[in-house]
Order: sequence, then C-alpha cells, then structure tokens
Amino acid sequence: MVVLAGLGPIGVMVLALIGYRWMPKRMPITIAVWVSLVFVITGIYFYREMMHGIWEMWLLLLVDLIAAGSAWDSIWWIREHHTVKLLRYYVWWALFWLALVIIATAGNLVLAWLAIEFSTLASGALIVEMGHRRALEAAWKYIVVASVGMLMAIIGIVFLYASLQFEHLGWHTLDYTNLHAHFLAISPIVRKMATILIVCGIGTKAGLVPFHTWLPDAHSVAPSPISGLLSGILLGVSLVTIDQFVAAVPLSSHVLLSGQHLLLFFGTLSVVVGTLAILVQTDIKRMLAYSSIEQVGIMAIGFGIGTPYAQEAAILQLVFHAMIKSGLFYISGHLSVRYHSIHLPQMTDMIRRHRKLALAWAIGILALAGLPPLGLAFSEWMILYGLWSSHLWVFLIVLSISLMLGFAALMHHLISGLWGETNRSLEQKEAFGRIAITGGVSHE
Amino acid sequence: MGITALIVFVASIGMLLVRNVKHTVWLLAVQGVALGVMVFLSGPITLDQIAIGLATILIKGGVIPFTMNRVTLRWPLSYRSDRPLPWWGYLAGIALVLSVTHIIHLLSPVGIIHHRDLFFYGLASIYLGLLQIISRRHVLSQVGSLIAVENALVILAASVAGQLPMFMEFGMLIDLLVAVVILSWISRLVHRQFNTTDVTVMRFLRR
Repeated sequence: MVVLAGLGPIGVMVLALIGYRWMPKRMPITIAVWVSLVFVITGIYFYREMMHGIWEMWLLLLVDLIAAGSAWDSIWWIREHHTVKLLRYYVWWALFWLALVIIATAGNLVLAWLAIEFSTLASGALIVEMGHRRALEAAWKYIVVASVGMLMAIIGIVFLYASLQFEHLGWHTLDYTNLHAHFLAISPIVRKMATILIVCGIGTKAGLVPFHTWLPDAHSVAPSPISGLLSGILLGVSLVTIDQFVAAVPLSSHVLLSGQHLLLFFGTLSVVVGTLAILVQTDIKRMLAYSSIEQVGIMAIGFGIGTPYAQEAAILQLVFHAMIKSGLFYISGHLSVRYHSIHLPQMTDMIRRHRKLALAWAIGILALAGLPPLGLAFSEWMILYGLWSSHLWVFLIVLSISLMLGFAALMHHLISGLWGETNRSLEQKEAFGRIAITGGVSHE
Repeated sequence: MGITALIVFVASIGMLLVRNVKHTVWLLAVQGVALGVMVFLSGPITLDQIAIGLATILIKGGVIPFTMNRVTLRWPLSYRSDRPLPWWGYLAGIALVLSVTHIIHLLSPVGIIHHRDLFFYGLASIYLGLLQIISRRHVLSQVGSLIAVENALVILAASVAGQLPMFMEFGMLIDLLVAVVILSWISRLVHRQFNTTDVTVMRFLRR
C-alpha cells in the first residue's frame, strides 16, 4: 500500500525533472493535474477499505486532497514569487508529500519515525528555498529542535525493540499490531520511559506545548502552499502516530504520566497557550500557526480521553482542521502579496479591496472559530461531550473557556481585517500629505 | 566493543572542550570509524553486519566529516572558532555523566541492559551531545552535536539490543546523511547572509 501510495510523489519528481527541461511554464499545472488525478485514483482504488471504516485510508485520501490543494496553490504562489527555483521546489515538495503519505499509512512505529524525521528535512529545505534571513533562522530552529525531539523518540523506540527482541521479527517487531499483542512482555518501567520519550519526542513534531517553539516560526516563514501541508497534515499525522503508539503499548490509567495523561496535559497546555497567543498576534501567518497549536491541543485532548467516541471526534477534528487551515494558509499568502505586508494591522478593508479573497478568508476564519454548522463546531462539541461523560471537569472548563476566548480573538482579527479603518486613515493621511505638499491645507 | 564505545565517549568529551570546529569534524570522523569497527566486533560476522559496518565507516567516518570540512574550508580562520564552554557547562556535564549511574541502577532489575559499560558510555555521550547543543554557539558545533547524539544512540542501542535491524540502521544513516547535507547548506547560507557563524545572531523572528 505504501509503495502504491508513493507512486504519486515519485510521479511529481519525474514530471519536475522532465518538465524543467522541456516545458518549464506548463510544469506547475501539469503537476497539479497529476496530483489531482492521484487523489481521485486513491479515492476509487481504496473505496472499499474506506467504506469498511479503515480510517488510515481516509487519512491517506486527506493527505492527497491537501496535497492537490497545495499543488494548485503552488501555481498561483510561484507566479507571485519569481525567484523560486522551480525544480528544487518541486523535488522537495514531492519528497515532503511522500513522507506525509508514509506517516499516514505506516503500520509500524519505526517506519513512521523515519518518515517524520524525513518530513522535517524536506520541509526544512523548502523553507530555506525562501532564501531570506528570517527563512534561514526558522529553518535552522525547525531542523535542530525537531531533530532533538525525534532523537528522544528513537531512544524510546530502541528500548521497546530491545524488550521484544526475543521474537526475532526484525523491524516488524515494531508493527503496532505486534506491539499491542506483546506489550505485557515489556516491563512497566520501560513502557513508562518509552511512553514519555515517544510522546514528548514526536510531540515536538506535532507542535504540542511546551515543545512547539519551532512551529510559529517555521509555519509563518514557509511558502504558503507548504505552510498548508505543514499545518494541515503534518501536525495531525504526527499526533495520530503518537495515538497509535499509546493505543498499542498502553499503560494503566492509574499510572501517573501514562500516554493518555500526557496527551490530556500537553493538549490542554497547547489549547491555552495557542488561544492566548492568537489574541496578541499581528503577523497573519503566525496567527494561523498559533491557531494550529490550539487545534492540535484539542485533538490531543480528544485522543487523551481515550473513549472510542472521543477518538472519533479527534479524527473528525483533524480532518476538518486540515481542510480549513490549509485553505487559510493559501489565502493568507495571497493577501500578504496584495498588501505587501504580513502584518494584520496593515491588512484592513479587505471587503472593499479584495472582495473574493475576503469572502474566502471570512468563511475560513468562521469555520476555524467553530461557528455552527461548520465542521469544527461539530467535532469540538463532541470532544467537550467526551470530557463531560468522562467526568474530566477541569479539562472541560479550561477547554470551554479557551474555545470562547479563541472565538473572540478570531472574530476580532476577522472584523478588523474586513472592515478595519487603519488603511482608510492611512489613505486620508496620504491624501492630506499630497494636499499639504501642494499648499492647499495647512498642517494645523 | 567496550574500547570503541570508550573512544566515542572520549571524543564526545573532546567535542565539548575543543574550540576549533575543524577539530570537531575530526573527532566526528574518529567516532564514525569507531562505530564502524564496533559493528564488526559485535559478534559473528554476517553479510548484514559487513554492509552496516562498511556503510557506517563510509558515511559517518567519511562522507559526513568531508561535507562539514568542505564548509569550513570556505571560511576564513576567524570563522572556524567557537566560544569556550561556559563555566556552568562543566558542572552540568559532570552532573549529567554521574546521573547515568542512577539510571543504570534503576534499569538493572529489569534486565534490559546487556552491557553496562556500553550503556554508560552511550547514555553519557547522549547527555554530553545535548549539553553541547545548548552550550555551543557555532553553527557547525551544533550540527556536530546532533551527529554526536546519533552516534551515541548507536552505542546505547548496542548495549540493550545488540544490533538493530538492518532497515533501522540504514534508515537512520540515510536520514543523518541528508540532515547533515541540508544543515551544512544552511550553515553556508547563514555565514553568507549574517556574516557570522554564531547562531545567537539569528534573532529576526523574535522582533
């Protein structure tokens, strides 16, 4: 299955290599059509599995859908950024997509680890391609912080492998099914240590607070089509990897710092930090990045509750967030180009200046804020209900307050963006300046 | 095996103490060769072992140090020097190495540690590598510390699992190689754009 799913990214690399030489102008659109075809074929080929409720297939389809969106947006983005080196951009893009496909479909912990680690390198290289100082700084921080986190995770994985080495299954020892079948053969202290190392290590890539320091920088500086993939897919599939490990190697819920405890704790911390940061952001993509931290926190809480109902809610949250956030990142990139600025206070009066983008931005932000009947409202309500029925009152109160605050913060940014006055006053100042220069109006 | 692990541990200490990044690169090469030799000493020689051992020597002892060395050669001498380890670094290093004995004491009853010496050298070297990341300021010192942690991880894995599956060994080797190539590329760009090799100048995103 991984091999089959990997044909899409390999096709992009071939198209990029051929297209760069023979038809550079048509290359982006050819690649976008190819990625869309892969999405449709994936949907048809794995239709039965999806209908049988194998959610990994849905996850694969989601990866391909967001990748198709990213490929189409890349056409527009490349037209706005002439200095980008097309061949390198698409080769790294394809490798990043390949890594995401492997993470989403991996039934093995070490395969997922390798793919997550590789996704860091491919997406880091795409950030470096931006070429400016901010990009270098963000890429450096991203690769170093994420690599340290992943090294912590692999220590935990090595301990798990050492405990089950007697099976002589090679790397298949770390298949989730095998881990779950024999987890009792792993001593509790090793399971606990591995859980802490893997949740914190891969949690670094999932953007869980306090391991999130790389995320706002990398997401805000990356090319917008890549930010969409990073935020929409990478965070979610990394979190799913953690959840699959926690489910495969469970610790009793009475054990302090079990996988579920850690997910609940880091999830709540992420929701609080993400929400408070959204309130004060002035950079459009940083605001979206902090919103991703908040959303990943909500998903982690869903996985941390541990009931099948809450798990479904977390997966739904992941799917809705992926579609909404990737779209918002694409739009934010084009708004930044239109306004020649990344600062929210500069991006005002959108409704009059860029009506179509403003409409798409407004729908996206309303959906992200959780306005019913849009998707996130449904999944967030399910997670709140999951907390209620599991009697996790403190988490329920904190999440409820954070969601309200987040809603208010996003509405504030949306309203001031659509109808804000700053630019009008700037225009007036400019007009005043012109009249003053010609001597029509005194400076008093 | 114990001697090769000791070499890796001593090289990790050396990396903390040296100031010239060229010396760091040499120490990494020594670690790479020692790890490759360790694979051959770890038991009856099989085809898998020969492949992993040769690949380790080639990538960790050759390609990676060569790539890093090429970056340093483009820089004037003044850009190859890192600041000395801060005073708290020595104290933290000693405390971290001593704390490994406590972890061995904790894990011994479980029976997961097959070679105590190897475990000590491996975990202590991981700690020293992490300390190097937070205490050194040169871009290549930080790249070197990431590689040192990965090298130490191989020793730790050998102490608890003997040998890792070939898929894992090769996957990690290739991952490391790609990481070093990209980080060396970024190091060159950092030097070109910031006109320094000190990572602390990268503060644009904090403004």
